[in-house]
Amino acid sequence: MRVSLSDLVLSIADNKQMLGLRYAEWATRAPSLEADIAAAAMGLDDLGHSRVLYGCLEPLGADPRGLERESDPASLRALPYFDEPWTEWAQFVAANAVLDTAFTVMIEACVNGEVEVLQHRLRKMLLEERYHFLHGRSWLKSGIDAEPLNRAWTEAIEWFGPPDGEVAELHRDGKLSMGPRELLARLEERLESKAPNARVDWKGWDPLRRRSRPGAIDEQTFGMLRGLEEKKFAATKEA
Amino acid sequence: MTIHYKRVSGDAVEYEVFARKTRAEPLHQVGSVVAPDDDLAMAYARATYDEERWCEMAIVRKEHVIELWQPGEI
Repeated sequence: MRVSLSDLVLSIADNKQMLGLRYAEWATRAPSLEADIAAAAMGLDDLGHSRVLYGCLEPLGADPRGLERESDPASLRALPYFDEPWTEWAQFVAANAVLDTAFTVMIEACVNGEVEVLQHRLRKMLLEERYHFLHGRSWLKSGIDAEPLNRAWTEAIEWFGPPDGEVAELHRDGKLSMGPRELLARLEERLESKAPNARVDWKGWDPLRRRSRPGAIDEQTFGMLRGLEEKKFAATKEA
Repeated sequence: MTIHYKRVSGDAVEYEVFARKTRAEPLHQVGSVVAPDDDLAMAYARATYDEERWCEMAIVRKEHVIELWQPGEI
């Protein structure tokens, strides 16, 4: 299967959209009032970033979004980490520190690559993401459970892709300034820690969804993305 | 191991937040945040007070402000 730069940008967009929604779910449940506000603000940022990324698909020449996205949640390209709402603050912190930074590192690779539309439109995201990074790193330093942290690292490694995959090819072509190895090194450098030794079975890896595990986002979240949740509250003609 | 988080950290420090909209005006205090370290305080200040288009924002640990006098002392 041939995976294009548009497919990669759509994956960033879908992941940012889900990250924003999951952040927003914690806007009244975080450990402090300041963290509540930060969760809401970061959620808005990432939802905005996803809109900008979706807007890049047409200029890139091939919008990979099909009609199946309206009916099949498994056609969305977010990571398994976002399939279900988070029940623990540690899941929030691991996503904030590791996955959000992994997406930022990929955006850096786009901004410093040779594709003009990505160079121009994604640059501002890096400024906003600085505060997500500070938030995630600080909470990470305070200590969280190992399980969500290891999971976030593993999914970040999977998301960067195999050493000889299309991200590596896009790097060789100059469209991305970093390949999978450089992306992981940059993520480790930013988080000042080493990734756990994760064994990824690339044979079972889905190059479009950039994940190995099957599954999809929960029904309620999928309904919300399609506007179905809002319709429940819409006035009927009889009313 | 389960870690329990408290709504307010015992290690939290108070920071004053300053900002301005144009180069011509001076920085003025827009509020405060409570955080355990400078990184988180920056993230919280930006999240909490970003509703305006500030051209500059800065934070200062409240304990680093040197008071000359307080209300009622003169």
